[in-house]
Amino acid sequence: MLDAIVQKLHAGERLSFDDGLALFRHPDVVSVGRLANEGRERRHGDRTYFNRNMRIETTNVCVASCLFCSFAKLEEGAPGAHTMRVEDAWRELEERMDDPPGEIHIVNGLHPGLPFSYYEELLAGFKRIKPDVHMKCFTAVEIHFFATHYGMTYREVLERLRSAGLDSLPGGGAEIFHPAVRTRIAHDKATADEWLEVHRIAHRLGMSTNATMLYGHIETFEHRVDHLLRLRALQDETGGFQAFIPLAFHPDGNGMRNLPAPTAIDALRTIAVSRLLLDNVPHVKAYWVSMTPEVAQIALCFGADDIDGTIVHETIYRAAGTRSPGALTAQQIVRLIQEAGRIPVERGSLYNVLREHPRASVPEAAVNVRDRKATKHLEVLS
Amino acid sequence: MIGQGERLRAAAVGYLNARPLYEGLDREPASSRLRLECGSPSEVARRVAEGEADFALMPVAAAATIGDLRVVRGCAIGARGAVRSISIVAERPIDTIDELAVDLSSRTSVVLARLVLRARSRGREPRLLGATARDAIATVSGARAALIIGDPALEIEGRFPHVLDLGLAWWELTGLPFVFAAWCGPKGVLSSGDESLLTAAKAVGLERRDALADEHAARTGLTSASLRSYLREAIRYDLGDDERRGLERFYDDAASAGLLPRARVRFFDDDRRNGATLPGLDAILSRAAEGERLSAAEGERLADEASLFDLGLAADAVRKRKHPHSVVTYIVDRNVNYTNVCTTSCRFCAFYRPPGHPEGYVLTREQLAKKLKEVVDAGGVQILLQGGLHPGLRIEWYEDLFRWIKREFSLGLHALSPEEILHIARIESLGVRAVLERLHAAGLDSVPGGGAEILVDRVRRKIAKAKCTSDEWLGVMRTAHHMGLRSSATMMYGTVDTAHDRIAHLIKIRDLQDETGGFTAFFCWDFQHEKGTNIEPGDNGTVLYLRQQATARIMLDNVDHVGASWVTQGPEVGQVALRFGADDFGSVMFEENVVSSAGTTFCMNADAIERNIRAAGFKAVRRNVRYDWLTVPA
Repeated sequence: MLDAIVQKLHAGERLSFDDGLALFRHPDVVSVGRLANEGRERRHGDRTYFNRNMRIETTNVCVASCLFCSFAKLEEGAPGAHTMRVEDAWRELEERMDDPPGEIHIVNGLHPGLPFSYYEELLAGFKRIKPDVHMKCFTAVEIHFFATHYGMTYREVLERLRSAGLDSLPGGGAEIFHPAVRTRIAHDKATADEWLEVHRIAHRLGMSTNATMLYGHIETFEHRVDHLLRLRALQDETGGFQAFIPLAFHPDGNGMRNLPAPTAIDALRTIAVSRLLLDNVPHVKAYWVSMTPEVAQIALCFGADDIDGTIVHETIYRAAGTRSPGALTAQQIVRLIQEAGRIPVERGSLYNVLREHPRASVPEAAVNVRDRKATKHLEVLS
Repeated sequence: MIGQGERLRAAAVGYLNARPLYEGLDREPASSRLRLECGSPSEVARRVAEGEADFALMPVAAAATIGDLRVVRGCAIGARGAVRSISIVAERPIDTIDELAVDLSSRTSVVLARLVLRARSRGREPRLLGATARDAIATVSGARAALIIGDPALEIEGRFPHVLDLGLAWWELTGLPFVFAAWCGPKGVLSSGDESLLTAAKAVGLERRDALADEHAARTGLTSASLRSYLREAIRYDLGDDERRGLERFYDDAASAGLLPRARVRFFDDDRRNGATLPGLDAILSRAAEGERLSAAEGERLADEASLFDLGLAADAVRKRKHPHSVVTYIVDRNVNYTNVCTTSCRFCAFYRPPGHPEGYVLTREQLAKKLKEVVDAGGVQILLQGGLHPGLRIEWYEDLFRWIKREFSLGLHALSPEEILHIARIESLGVRAVLERLHAAGLDSVPGGGAEILVDRVRRKIAKAKCTSDEWLGVMRTAHHMGLRSSATMMYGTVDTAHDRIAHLIKIRDLQDETGGFTAFFCWDFQHEKGTNIEPGDNGTVLYLRQQATARIMLDNVDHVGASWVTQGPEVGQVALRFGADDFGSVMFEENVVSSAGTTFCMNADAIERNIRAAGFKAVRRNVRYDWLTVPA
């Protein structure tokens, strides 16, 4: 069943909708993973990227009512609703200036009561504290909301935010593009076309962005392939996506709490098929918060070449019941990557290499002159 | 090659028929070049496998199991026709026997016997029963025969009406000599000068044969004349082209029958002549996928060189051959730790408390009753009862407990790992067999395989000094299996162990399984590091776990089941492990004190387990401790 796909891949041909579907449906996830790994190694060898980043969610007040969301509280004043003062948000960076993150990643609810200047001030303040920090902020859904709420075009919103300090857009809010799913789980926010248009304009403005897909709820494999191909088409046009990040649905405390979360095998399969279908997107990220650090490590052999970053501190998945920790140290991430047999590369937000770490060192116990394994290697060298 | 400045460490089987090959090694120049120690065949093989000896005079089956060894040309213990010391004896014609009691210490002889019997009876083979030589001889009657080896075989010459001399049977079957043992070692370990020392020693030893026979006669009561002719006529000490063909035939037949890893006969001097080529990794993997037995050397190559996918796909193929119904089983049981008081203080354990510690506990009957009732209410079928080595609990305490559990609850009792059995034996000054018999009578159903850690004593001494040795652990399992108790086998890696040690561990499990067939399943996990434990983690990680489990599935060709350890690895990795050779998903967990003390806490109910199994592409079935299906696949 995979033979035709293997031939296409080896001939450098692009995979079709049906190929994508066949890969999702193939019973043997290990064989699909092996194919994706070839694609990953062709692009990146053993190099595996991570960064030191920091996540802040400054408000969870949100006018949208997405079924999958356990984070947003609809109205200001509702129990658990909170909105940070910009000074409090800045303090989180100030407190970490002894070991500062290279990137700040902000994703918020769609707050109806804040002035646009709140966001401009927020960005500008971080840049005042650390001028070279990379601000990866506001999903296309938020940009779309700003445009309609404050009466601007996407371009105007993006340009004003960029003047205030915005560097790139995260990939969130894509969920599932197909209207059969989107109208049921996220009916009152940016549509697929609007989401894609925001990214199109960002790319035209020279901004890099990421893309995501929220999988494992009510969507079918056809919807996933459709989603990936829409991203591939935009990438053909603009080339502005840096990384694709599949996000596993987590059911706790949201409108789809009766559904089970997708399993690890689904997570690995989705990483692998994404790598194979998105032939024009440079990076596929195993977001460890969504899939647990353990499965993320396996994903580094199933097509992913990036494992996100130190995160400190994520709250959206925490609210939906992931058992992943809120943060990992850089050392823990380096070890996770080394244990997968890969080379950890600490990157900047635009995949500029900051530091390449060694491959896992050979544990001392294994180095023994009389160890046949060791002598075998010596023979090969001599 | 071991440098001239260093002394070679040699080992040899200490039998009479081996002495002519090493008698001459106690004089110069050999004595300053090497140091020889004698031992049983399994001990000699273990030393080479674990790097404690550089080379050894070892049985050829052990050499095949280690794999990729070279042989010294010109020296061997063999026979061209009747050998006298390896015979099947019976009261009626050998081809009509149903049972064969065998001395399991000689693997080569057992494999030879099985090949000969299969060839003579067109595949019909008697049931094998492990026994000491004395017991084997004593129980020969009717359809029960015995395979007798060494001195006992010479002692009983002429006692039974029907005798099959296996040297002669092999000769008649193949027209080739048989080689029982030879000097073997890893490639390059011996120089041509070293080989000359061994050949020279043989010349000295052959001259001393009569003296050796007389000495042995004086010690054993066998006659000098019989032993002289045994060493001069029955046993041949050559290893030339004929013997090589005989050995190659033996290796081929044994591998085809699935009794030994496929092995080639290569002399040390072959390497010096042409430089040997390694077989391709793909060839090893496809042989594994087809169910062939791999040697330790091949296992190590897989561990070193095979990709995660190579291992996963080969392990999945093995799983599929053994379990073609696409079913993954699980059990509803509960792990009850009856006490955390323990005298062992293993460095990796965060659970134990020393005797007298305020946090030490022994569960009361009330506490136990509550836990067991919950198991019954949840549809559970057994409990896994384990605890620390409590110095104050006597065997009667366990017997009372077991009887009470059996009386009050209808639950299987999977209880007391080998370490605990040995502890009770020590406290009570009883043998392991006596302890197991009493506990079995009180209700013990099966023995959990915990505490195996890594069955290489160098590793055990470092991480669990006070614990039993590898041989003791295996010995308890052997005894339990002989009594008809089944057990699981485990491996905890990721401390000071190397890939070499982990393969050695698997081979020891496989060897014992060949003997007893008593292991139901194998589980492995990595050392769970957490503060409170006093040991640094070694080789670790999720990818290694998958590799390790897949390697176990490939190497353990004679163990039916391999389980995914989701309790230690997490439900997510547990599920992925089902595609890497596992056909069992372990237990629904109520509690697992030992691992959770080290910081790992996972929970999964039966629904979640079944959902994970189905999402991995299998049907789910509940099982009992013997892996019988309790539900219909769904």
